[in-house]
Amino acid sequence: MPLYDVIGIKIDPYLNTSQTVSSASAFGLSDGQKTRLISAATIMLFGLAWWALSTYHWVATLFLPSPSDVWEQLLAIVTDGYANATLWDHVGASLVRILSAAAIAFSLAIPIGLSMGLSPWVKGLFDPPIEFYWPLPPLAYLPLMIIWLGIGEASKITLLTLAMFAPICLAAQAGVRGVSEERLHAARSLGANGWQLFWHVILSSALPEILTGTRIAIGVGWGTLVAAELIAATRGIGFMIMSASHFLATDVVFVGIGIIALLVFAFSYSWQKLEVFLVPWKGQE
Amino acid sequence: MLTIRDLTVTYPSRGQAPITALQNVSLDILKGEIVVALGASGCGKSTLLNTIAGFLPATSGRLELNTHEIKGPGAVRGVVFQKDTLLPWKSVIDNVAIGLVFAGQSRAAARAQAHSLLSLVGLDDFANVAPYELSGGMRQRVGIARALATNPDLLLMDEPFGALDSFTREQMQELLISVWHKTHKTIFLITHSIEEALSLGTRVIVMSPRPGRIVRRYPLDFVKRFSAGESWASIRTDQAFL
Repeated sequence: MPLYDVIGIKIDPYLNTSQTVSSASAFGLSDGQKTRLISAATIMLFGLAWWALSTYHWVATLFLPSPSDVWEQLLAIVTDGYANATLWDHVGASLVRILSAAAIAFSLAIPIGLSMGLSPWVKGLFDPPIEFYWPLPPLAYLPLMIIWLGIGEASKITLLTLAMFAPICLAAQAGVRGVSEERLHAARSLGANGWQLFWHVILSSALPEILTGTRIAIGVGWGTLVAAELIAATRGIGFMIMSASHFLATDVVFVGIGIIALLVFAFSYSWQKLEVFLVPWKGQE
Repeated sequence: MLTIRDLTVTYPSRGQAPITALQNVSLDILKGEIVVALGASGCGKSTLLNTIAGFLPATSGRLELNTHEIKGPGAVRGVVFQKDTLLPWKSVIDNVAIGLVFAGQSRAAARAQAHSLLSLVGLDDFANVAPYELSGGMRQRVGIARALATNPDLLLMDEPFGALDSFTREQMQELLISVWHKTHKTIFLITHSIEEALSLGTRVIVMSPRPGRIVRRYPLDFVKRFSAGESWASIRTDQAFL
């Protein structure tokens, strides 16, 4: 029983003292339902505070536009677009960048990470460059990307690919190294050769780690994407936010942030669903 | 069939003299025998099994199965582990069939054979279930079926029932005897349970630690009597068993 239940019994004046500890789930709710209820209340409280602060002008509109302002601005951007481009152009530009970078990063990082886990030679080859670059903040080498590749899509996609590569590569490597020795022994004693061992045992064993790595990578990718678009772009959600801030259009900034939050949430939700579909055994062993 | 002569296995040890896990062990296992190695933890019985399986190299001595020197792991020796080593992403039937797939058989042919092995261990109805949906005892039965699928000359069992509750363990011992009776497999099993050793072995070897060696060998007939139809109750109350 979670601690707050115990505390709840002691301080809740509405609970009949004759009730036993086992009926401690007050109001007949499960722990999960309670968490959701509290989360919903928090969201409502934030919304209410936002509405009150802006509507009664306790905070200037420049700093905090009201919810209705933001909503109207969103509708305006949906119908008229922003900065000579529709909202779909901006969202599309960001999505194309992140998806193409993800595709490149996945197709490079997974095989390289797996080979690094399998072979000390490959590990020796790739370890120094990866260990050198991956702790660096992507924005630190963004200027280099621009000098080398120009301000077009190439520099942004390369930057994103680099940012996403390391977490996937390290996860794939850790996945291979984490395969239990008993499992390998069992497969060997059943006559598996090297390739069969990799295909039937190692790859699937490493899959949960790889999926976690890709999820982290996509998160890192979104963070890097917005930063990259802040500096050099004419399209994209990050660009929209940056451009709006130049005109002190705080409501547009809010719209941009809202859209990014929604996209990231959609991504991480569908990734969780994918994980359940691909590795139903996770946590069951 | 299996010939072990003067087998010595030493492990390298960090900064110290190498540890001798087995010293001058000699053992012959004949076709159709169940040889049980009995001993406390650290007596080298696991090292012996792992060396026969080919997971560990012999430091010195001779190790031959049907006059072929053992050089590494392979499907002629099936292994049943104490820990569940089934692949959770494959169904029960595909886990049993995997050795045949490794040997180059088609999936359909491998599955057909795997089905008959599942019925041997009494799991016909669980072919398409995921391993993690089974109980510990059932998983171990799948492990036995999997090890038998490649028709190995020798079945090695590493404390196979050590993690099971005593009720399930007794059921599994009876299952193993019935499998042995039907397939006439040669089995080498290690355990730290004296009762298990007496119940299962046609021969028991007792091992002692530091360095690991065989200190006693007992031929037994209880398991044969059980196979011949005598009940456990009468065998287990036999004066000789006690």
